[in-house]
Amino acid sequence: MDLDDLYRLLRVSHVQAQGIVDTIRDPLLVLSGDLTVISANPAFYRTFATDRDSTIGRLLYELGNGQWNIPELRLLLENVIPKSASVADYEVQTEFPDVGLRTMLVSAQRLIHPDNGRRVLLFSIVDATARRQMEVAKDFLINELDHRIKNLMSVTQALTRQTSVEGRSAEDYRDALLGRFDALARSLEVAAHKKTSRLPDLALAAMEPHLETAPAVVIAEGPVVQLSSSQATSLGLILHELATNAAKYGALSTSSGTVTLDWEVVSDEGSPAKVHLRWQERGGPQVAAPSKTGFGTRLIKFTTEFELGGSAELSYEPHGFVAELGFPSQTS
Amino acid sequence: MPNEPAEPRQKRGLLVLIVEDEFLIALDLQSMLEDVGYAVLGPVGTVDAALRIVEEARPDVVSLDLNLRGQSAIPVAEKLRALEIPFVVTSANRTFDFPGGEILTGATVIGKPVHPRMLIEALSHAYLA
Repeated sequence: MDLDDLYRLLRVSHVQAQGIVDTIRDPLLVLSGDLTVISANPAFYRTFATDRDSTIGRLLYELGNGQWNIPELRLLLENVIPKSASVADYEVQTEFPDVGLRTMLVSAQRLIHPDNGRRVLLFSIVDATARRQMEVAKDFLINELDHRIKNLMSVTQALTRQTSVEGRSAEDYRDALLGRFDALARSLEVAAHKKTSRLPDLALAAMEPHLETAPAVVIAEGPVVQLSSSQATSLGLILHELATNAAKYGALSTSSGTVTLDWEVVSDEGSPAKVHLRWQERGGPQVAAPSKTGFGTRLIKFTTEFELGGSAELSYEPHGFVAELGFPSQTS
Repeated sequence: MPNEPAEPRQKRGLLVLIVEDEFLIALDLQSMLEDVGYAVLGPVGTVDAALRIVEEARPDVVSLDLNLRGQSAIPVAEKLRALEIPFVVTSANRTFDFPGGEILTGATVIGKPVHPRMLIEALSHAYLA
């Protein structure tokens, strides 16, 4: 139903028109030429927490605490309406008594009574507060998502740039890069769920691609350690680098080698609990410290310090490489 | 001493503080800068750590990420302005219409993902300006 229909009905029957006005869900006022309220619908009383006595027969500008007494709105109603017949969606943001701060969209339509030629004004109000809030929330989310996408692109770029190209085939480079992507994706997946964001779940997820080819990896039955999402992401990547190195140079490069991953939680009195995690290789080829530090090693050390707030010690012991990570456990 | 030749301008690399909360990006930025002979302070990923390190060691120039684990890096920018240490902003956001954003007026902004050459040029320009 549009206003024309309503207008026709108003001509036909006052009672019927009143019924229609009453069923309209948005607040509606019928105002006389001097902007006195002639009638109001139940939605108006409901929305503005007011009643008949404080509404009917009063000037629009005097309703409530004078919240409609806005110079710009007065100008519209007093000058524009007589010329243009209607105003649509004029936004009023103000404090309403007993209702609070609201954003209202006001529309007004001039009608001329068919019998006596009297002018009345239909004044309808839509509470757009929730809609506005949703729009703000939506913009915020889009912004946040945009930020995350760009961040993830930066991370992708970092991995691509830092994965070494020196002395390897394109295929080899691609596999190494895809391995890191996969580790990142797995870690993010684990980190996204509180139930899995912990040891040993993270270790199992991170090691899964390596377990297929290397049944020689033993993940000890250590205590459950809850991880924050950033701890889980970084630890997942660290484990991937350890496994990749082991497969290339260490115990997992031979059929006889084994890797044991275990951890414990140590709490000294007065200081927060610390996680000690140990990666130990055995039975592989004799190892020696590499002549230069690769990205994998840098990532392990840097990430443990920067992201986990701890320290990593990598020992190239003759009978097998050992990595020991110590970092504060998250308390929450 | 009048006869002593003017000391040649030192051709050392700049000392750059990296403020970045995403560890992989921080590591990447560090490599980028070290590859061209710059010395790197940090990286640090929190407002507190950044403020502390700026106080302890005066970097020549700073690469500053604006969002540090949900915290605004504006206090760091304010401190750098106060100490007259030039900085370059690295940010996924292009506009600074948030409280305190005025302090960034005039700073070069490098969008993310960061292009290495652009960052290096911006840092050396900021230092020389």
